[in-house]
Amino acid sequence: MIPHYYQHFCPVKILSGHNAVSNIPFELDILGCKRAMIVTDKGVVGAGLINIVREAFSDSDREIGYIFDETPPDSSNRLVNKLAKLFEKQKCDCFVAVGGGSALDTAKGANIVISEGTDDILKLQGNEIIKADLFPMIAVPTTAGTGSEATKVAVIYNEEKNTKMAFVSDRLYPRVAVLDSRMTMTVPPRLTAATGMDALTHAVEAYTCLQKNPIDDIFARAAIELVRKYLVRATENGRDEEARLGMANASLFAGIAFSNSMVGMVHALAHACGGVCHVPHGLANAILLPHGLEYNIASVPQYIAELSGMLGGSIEYMEVRDQAMVTVSLVKNLLSRLNRISGIPMRLRDAGVSEDKLPAIARGAVNDGALAFNPAEVSYEEALEVLKQAF
Amino acid sequence: MNDTFGNMINRIRGLPGYPALQTRVKHILCDTVLSVLGPAFEVVGRYVPEFRKEIEPWEEGRRFSIGVLPNGPAVTLEKTGGRIRYLGKGMRSPHISMAFKNYDSALLVLMSIMGSHQAFAENRILVYGDLAKTMEINRVVNIVNAYLLPGFVLKTVLKRPPKMGIKNYISKGKVYAGLLPAVVRHMI
Repeated sequence: MIPHYYQHFCPVKILSGHNAVSNIPFELDILGCKRAMIVTDKGVVGAGLINIVREAFSDSDREIGYIFDETPPDSSNRLVNKLAKLFEKQKCDCFVAVGGGSALDTAKGANIVISEGTDDILKLQGNEIIKADLFPMIAVPTTAGTGSEATKVAVIYNEEKNTKMAFVSDRLYPRVAVLDSRMTMTVPPRLTAATGMDALTHAVEAYTCLQKNPIDDIFARAAIELVRKYLVRATENGRDEEARLGMANASLFAGIAFSNSMVGMVHALAHACGGVCHVPHGLANAILLPHGLEYNIASVPQYIAELSGMLGGSIEYMEVRDQAMVTVSLVKNLLSRLNRISGIPMRLRDAGVSEDKLPAIARGAVNDGALAFNPAEVSYEEALEVLKQAF
Repeated sequence: MNDTFGNMINRIRGLPGYPALQTRVKHILCDTVLSVLGPAFEVVGRYVPEFRKEIEPWEEGRRFSIGVLPNGPAVTLEKTGGRIRYLGKGMRSPHISMAFKNYDSALLVLMSIMGSHQAFAENRILVYGDLAKTMEINRVVNIVNAYLLPGFVLKTVLKRPPKMGIKNYISKGKVYAGLLPAVVRHMI
């Protein structure tokens, strides 16, 4: 169905290949940048991935101004403000973010602070309120899940309020996304599974939520099919280059899709799980996805039914709702298979959530902006019920 | 016949001053609906328990505005003394503001042709301020709509219209009865 109105925007140049990182200095040259601030985390440095980036720079006349490796699993407002000051002190003129969603979002957040000339990112909450031109940013994801390399969203943890805040602006798109299979090769199986399910959740919610549109549907479909083909393979054998690159592309496609179509209740609940219990975002999405889909069947059975074919289910003559239930089963089966391979938890109780925290999570979820785009209304009581089912 | 009518309309639209007149009419329409919506928050808050329950956890002094960009009409409301008070027209230093990108988008929502959830989905509304608090405000706007608009309109405006019992209909009656005096009081 063609919506009576939709918008699509994605200005990200995409480099995808087994040695794509080598092209970063050339891209910086095109962007007119000389001195890069590398934003990453200790895990990425420890895995030797920054050396790949360093080697690429050593072959060129571009230079690394500073390597900031203090990004925690959840980027925070305090950290973003700190990084912004460091960027100015080191006289850098661009960001190269190398890492998972947190590193990429930290760079985006610091970029907002510097470009808008503010001292605190909290002053710039809202959607589409960033007016300044941001410094160029190149995103090099080292996990295949967040899709942050192709989104206009930065999720920053508010330390004072224990909540995750979403900053949304067309200016937040990185200028270049670099997908290099070498960068995800060292990700352990459990994290591969969780981040892959994160990508799947992005694509599924983009396909089923209120802002869905024909262009993003194409990206969402492609992402889901890549996840079906490569996620189990990449989890079973991390050295499988093709599977790694396939999942990196799945994550990017899903990122493009949800950056325009947005996400829904699964993300609202997952953000709240992260805020209250620090459950990793991909893991929370993985656990909650089948439950969110089941909840939404009453509102958009057709869209959920259509997913079953993409997920490898047979298309038979079935009632739409029955076909939609097949989709839910296929997602559950995938999670179960990943659980057997990698040990990824299938219930919130196994992911560090205690039952007494469920009401706080439900309260957080109903105030999450993602819920606005969910096709079905979700009250506090209903959010709590879904959480109990996932517990 | 249709061609003749279409030509006539096109000729009228081409008259000098027509766009300005059209903008003026849109402004008046938006301004009128917002002038009713502002006081409606006070009236619904007086008679509807779920409205009061929803705003209970809000911090005192939370101020929010609803308006139209770039220079269209707006109204500002504030939580004081445990209630929502209508502060009047214009953006009055709000903590959170929800602004329609243009008159056409505003009219779709203000004339109840489209729900605010769909308007958000179609990027018709910009939010300045805390998005979590915006979600809380949006729930309150939905409650106001539920008690202000007739049932058949609610199917379009809300994702899930509330189930109304006798008590709710009595409250709705009280809201209708109290609305006109409230609007007049704020006009003078």
